[in-house]
This record gives sequence, C-alpha cells and structure tokens, in this order.
Amino acid sequence: MNQIQDTTISRPTENYSNPKTCFFHVIFKAASLAFYVLSALFVNSFVIVFVVTVLLASLDFWVVKNVSGRILVGLRWWNEINDLGESVWKFECLDQESLSRMNKKDSWLFWWTLYLSAVAWLFLGIFSLIRFQADYLLVVGVCLSLSVANIIGFTKCRKDAKNQIQQFAQQTIASRFSSTVQSAFSVV
Amino acid sequence: MAMSHNDSVPLHPSSQSDIDEIENLINAAPATVLPARPQSPPRASIPVSSSPFIQSNIPPPSFHNKPPIPPPISSVSVSPAVLPVTDPNVRPTVSAEGFGSAPNTLTEPVWDTVKRDLSRIISNLKLVVFPNPFREDPGKALRDWDLWGPFFFIVFLGLVLSWSASVRKSEVFAVAFAVLAAGAIILTLNVLLLGGHIIFFQSLSLLGYCLFPLDIGALVCMFTSSVLLKVILVPITLAWSSWAAYPFMSAAVSPRRKALALYPVFLMYVSVGFLIIAID
Repeated sequence: MNQIQDTTISRPTENYSNPKTCFFHVIFKAASLAFYVLSALFVNSFVIVFVVTVLLASLDFWVVKNVSGRILVGLRWWNEINDLGESVWKFECLDQESLSRMNKKDSWLFWWTLYLSAVAWLFLGIFSLIRFQADYLLVVGVCLSLSVANIIGFTKCRKDAKNQIQQFAQQTIASRFSSTVQSAFSVV
Repeated sequence: MAMSHNDSVPLHPSSQSDIDEIENLINAAPATVLPARPQSPPRASIPVSSSPFIQSNIPPPSFHNKPPIPPPISSVSVSPAVLPVTDPNVRPTVSAEGFGSAPNTLTEPVWDTVKRDLSRIISNLKLVVFPNPFREDPGKALRDWDLWGPFFFIVFLGLVLSWSASVRKSEVFAVAFAVLAAGAIILTLNVLLLGGHIIFFQSLSLLGYCLFPLDIGALVCMFTSSVLLKVILVPITLAWSSWAAYPFMSAAVSPRRKALALYPVFLMYVSVGFLIIAID
C-alpha cells in the first residue's frame, strides 16, 4: 500500500489506463448525438434517423453497462427476480484496494460523459418539443431514457459501494480484533 | 499459489486469508519489483482480490444463464498489486472449487458478456413463444427478463411495416413503434391497477417477446400481395401471439379479473394484425 501511494504521489499526471475502453465509451454516445443532429442536413427518411440513432444509443447503453462500467470504475448493476418472485436490484463493485487503484482520469471521463450526454439529449428534446416534432421527440425520448437508466444505475451502485466499504471496514476491524484476541489467548 | 485447501478443520475466514497473504508473498517474492508506474490492469483481468467464498453464500447456479450473484465483498485484500494477475479464474479462494471458477462477472471478458446476453434472449424467446414445460409457472419461466429481445422485435416489426407501405413510410414506422411501446407500458399498468402481481419489466419483456409470431406474419405478408393469404395468415399468428401471452397475464391477476387483463392485450394484437393486413 505504501509503495502504491509513493508512486502515485511522485507522478503528477497519469494517462488513461484503458484507452480502448474509454474510446468505445465515448464513441457511441458521440456518434448517436452527431448522427441525430447532422441527419437533418443529409437524410430525408425519418425511419433511418430513428433506427440508426436508437441503435447507436442502445449499443452505447450496453457498452456502458457491461463493459466500461466494469473496467473504468469497477461497478456493475443489474436486476434479478428472486425465488419469491420479487425483483431485486443487484449492485456489484470491486473491493476497495482495486477501487483505489482505478485510474482517476478513467473515472472522471466515465462520469462526466455520462452526465453530459444525458444533458445533451435533454436539450435536443426541448428543441424538438418547441418545434412540435413529435416523431423526433420519440427518438430523443428513447435515447434519454437509456442514458438516464445508466446514470441511475451507476449512481446507486456507487452509493452502495461506499456503504459496503464502510461496513466491510467495520467488519474487518471487528474480526481482526477478535482473531488477535483469540490468538493471544491461545498462545497464553 | 494458494489453491483451495480441503482442510479438515475449516479455518476462520480472516486467518485463512492471512495465510493466503503470506503464501502469496512467499511465492511471488521473486517477481515483485513494483514498476515505477503501476501498469494499467490488462483489460479483462481487473484483479478482484480473493473473497474467501464462504460456501453457504453461493446459491447453486440456476438452470439458465443467470448472471451469477456476486459474493459479499468480505475479503481481506491479498495485495493483488503484488501478483501479476493474468488469469482471473485462478485466484486463491477458500472453497469455491465446487462451482468451478469464481463466479464473478466483473472480470469476465467482453465476449462472454455478449454471449451470455445473446443466449439469454434466445432462451427467453423459446420459453415464451414455444410450448415448454414451464408455461404453467410463469413467474419462474421469464425469470431472466431482458429488454433487448423485445426492443429488437418491436423495431423489426416497425421496419417491416414501413417497408411494406408504399406511401408515408416514416409515419407508419413511427406509429407502429409508438403504439407497440406505449401499448406494452399501458397494458402493464393495466395489470398493476387491477391489483395483479406482476413485475413491470418482466411484463414489458413478455409482451415484447410475444410479438415474435406477428413479426413472422408481417415478414411473410411483405413478400406476398395476395390479400387472401394475408387474411388467413395474420389471424393464425395473432392466435399464436395471444396463446403465448395468455398464461403469464392470466396468472398475474385474480381469476375474476382475468378477462379484464387479457382483453386489452388481445385488442392490441388485433390492431397490430389489422395494421399488417391493411398495409399495401
């Protein structure tokens, strides 16, 4: 642990440690936003605009949820139905040691692009609302709900991770204490 | 490397991991010159330090490809920075050998995730649309709901309808998509308001998968121009869709209100069927 802290202090800047993942994380968001905005200039057919934009947005959703969430910030969330037939939201995170090793730039990029893309879709939605274009509003609605779903999932996951770390820290202290007491007594 | 020991005396988890830690340090000592800059973890193997998987916490893997339930993060970290971690499956664990490699979805390669999702879609489709022994227990059958399948089927139906239409293609697509999506949501709300016990996403997933027969019908109708064929084919696929949706919806509400829950579903599928027939 001290070695790691020394090395991080001595290096003022670090590069992205997962450049490919960061790239994919950003590219689908940017592509769907760009396609949606530029399609007004080039494409006549609404169907193509809809399908391509929503396809890119759902690819982005999948990538963020399954790949970049894991790799950039070490979080994952999903929903399961347990034996009683109730729906349970599961959150998974890496242990604290690995979490503290996560590249700061990676996680900065992850969170900021997540929020920014949702805000961008919100603006585009307001534009299409103002112009009374119900069908484009449909596109924006779908993309916005996908972004918001990811935001909510990962934010809850992060809070859950913090709770787990606190609990785990308390538990560790307690168990260490009891095991040292036990070993002390066994020696005696 | 500390593989799982079948000790006769089960050790206390924290002392076992202490032993693991010491063993790791001993074994990995020759290679532990920490690089001046910690290497970026290789892509598919973020070290998850050994959680000594306490046997009772891991439920047996279900018969379908359920994402494995994560173990409680209760481990003492076994200085993973020291070990060059290459294989996420070979990790010092206490007692996970009964289930093969540690069920941890955080470190699996991407291709595994894709395969898992794809196979889940296919298995859900088979469960919902084709006769199978689990139809009597609907809650268990669509346990691993997912929304990718329904999304694909709705978009596909919209596309086919749009291609079949000779005029106003965009409107046809938009209307079809909006009607199907909003219809699924409203039907689910209907069941919930009737006092039924259904999970929102599970029901959305089900209604989406039940569109599969109508997708097939629409695809065939796109290639034929004979109205008679359409009029015969569409009711068949319609009946198939309704048969697929029936057990789940009816099981969710009390028997007196079954018709109230099922009628709107049938109505929606009928209107989609009319849309398929009427488009030329």
